[in-house]
Amino acid sequence: MNLVEMNKALQWLRDKYAVKADGTLVASAPDSIGADAALKLENGTTATLLPWRPERRFVELKKLIDGKTLEDVSTLRFASMSAEQSLEKLLYRELDLCEYLGESPIVSAFAVTGGKTANVIVKLADGKSCSVECSAALPPGTAEMDRHEIIARRGIACDRVVDTQVPQSSIYQFTANGEKRYTDIDTELFGFSNAEILLIRAAFEVLRQPELADAWNKAGARLVRLTEETLASEKNGTPARFAEEK
Amino acid sequence: MKPVKIAMMSLTHGHTRKYYQTLRENSKLDWVASCAEDQAAKDVYDLYDNGVPCYLSAEEMFEKHPDIEAVVLASANEKHLAQVLDCAKRGVHILSMKIPTFDPAEYDKMIEAVDKAGIVCQIELEMHYNPVVKRLQKLIADGEIGKILSVQATNITLSPVWAFPWQGVPEASYGKRVPLKEGDPRFRGGALCDHPHIFDLIRWLTGSDFDFVYSAVAPNLRPDIPVEDMLLVNGKMKDGTAFLFDPSWSRMEERLKVPAPGWEVFPKRMEVNVTVTGEKGSIVCDCFGPNVYHNGAPNDRYTVQYTYFDEWVGLIDEFVDCIRNHKEPKINLRWHRRTIDCMNACYSSIASGMPARV
Repeated sequence: MNLVEMNKALQWLRDKYAVKADGTLVASAPDSIGADAALKLENGTTATLLPWRPERRFVELKKLIDGKTLEDVSTLRFASMSAEQSLEKLLYRELDLCEYLGESPIVSAFAVTGGKTANVIVKLADGKSCSVECSAALPPGTAEMDRHEIIARRGIACDRVVDTQVPQSSIYQFTANGEKRYTDIDTELFGFSNAEILLIRAAFEVLRQPELADAWNKAGARLVRLTEETLASEKNGTPARFAEEK
Repeated sequence: MKPVKIAMMSLTHGHTRKYYQTLRENSKLDWVASCAEDQAAKDVYDLYDNGVPCYLSAEEMFEKHPDIEAVVLASANEKHLAQVLDCAKRGVHILSMKIPTFDPAEYDKMIEAVDKAGIVCQIELEMHYNPVVKRLQKLIADGEIGKILSVQATNITLSPVWAFPWQGVPEASYGKRVPLKEGDPRFRGGALCDHPHIFDLIRWLTGSDFDFVYSAVAPNLRPDIPVEDMLLVNGKMKDGTAFLFDPSWSRMEERLKVPAPGWEVFPKRMEVNVTVTGEKGSIVCDCFGPNVYHNGAPNDRYTVQYTYFDEWVGLIDEFVDCIRNHKEPKINLRWHRRTIDCMNACYSSIASGMPARV
């Protein structure tokens, strides 16, 4: 993560879109289970970033729900597998996506764990169910894999195309050195890794909509608790239960 | 940098609505006015509630907004010459839709007028600002697969003719009524005229120019339109690169008057896939994928929900940069003319049944 270049890009976006609020991306604490960076604001406070929320696939999935392309969502089926990220980090993101795409707070979660894996059933306040399959046990060097499927009375939406089990890429290159894949998602920020792009975009969203800072800080703090208590649920022999935040 | 005061004209091109967000959000632009070709185009424009005044005559728009510096010509191909000449006379910079004209004599007039007026005239070939295309260009420029031997590309879409009827009218799309070939009731002006992108892209990827093309039309999927909707093209670049293109309207559509969800019948309504084979390897590339997918409203059909739309942002950025910093656009009239020459050669090949030199 090249914070110097990322901050230059953030300033470039501010200038281009005439956003007055200013801030600087800073690395998160090493033991953070949230995003790898946060946004330090001019007033000295720090905003938690939820960089998956402005990710286009999730923006479009949410549009499908908000625009009533899907009607009466019942169940979310999410999966996330990684060689690099911790189980806690994976679950933190997926739990946030449950609430964000499910549009209802989590009221309970029961996780069954095995080594660096967790299989979780989540209930939302409005009755929706979510399954979350997490694994931090991919072999080193394996690309991250995930899937987000939303099942409704009318329609199913997914960020993975039918008849595939792993994410597809935009470009596949085959040479004597083997296969390489590329999926570029942002022309304005071309050259950054997708993880860096998502952090820059999330920081820019906070600068563009300053009210997000408070909302994301609250969500972040809650997600830390949700994640810890969810992972402890099997040991406790009961689903973790959460009161709805006011 | 002072924002460029910009306007849109005609509003009858299929890409019209794709500019709205960029024109509203980019702080380097001040979108001051629009003028519609007719009341029907204005009615559609009004649906988007852009908050920008829309007139029914260009004359009135320029009169009421004498500070307009640049326009997006979102019009039928047959309107371009007159509009370019008018804008040049006014000293107004031009972003033209993807086909300025198919007529070489008209092309000369446009170049002369633009040169004389000293204005920027950029052609809208938005694929250049697609992040996947940027990566593809970089990989090839970096020599990852060595010298290019062969390129295959699709630029296949649904047909826009029901929403943008001029695209099915030979005179409006191609500029005149020219039969495709002897004994064929169809005319030039269909799918080929809608899909210049891959003809342009191969020039950038190879750094070479066209040598010859061969093209064939198939029976129309839409027998009730008077222009071609299915065709194939192959040929060779001067550096020896062989190519095969499919620029068809091979994805069926609901015959909507205004593009809206449910327009597509086939799940993916627009595809640009490119395969490049080089001496050291191959690249296969989907310029608009992966995306997200659903089978919800309105038709409960499996449908691609696109996540790629950077093209219009980058395009406008370059246009503003050229205006303010007196630069020549990458896709300018002179550059683009060779792409049009090749497309005309495709029509010649269809007519003769033989390969045609470009």
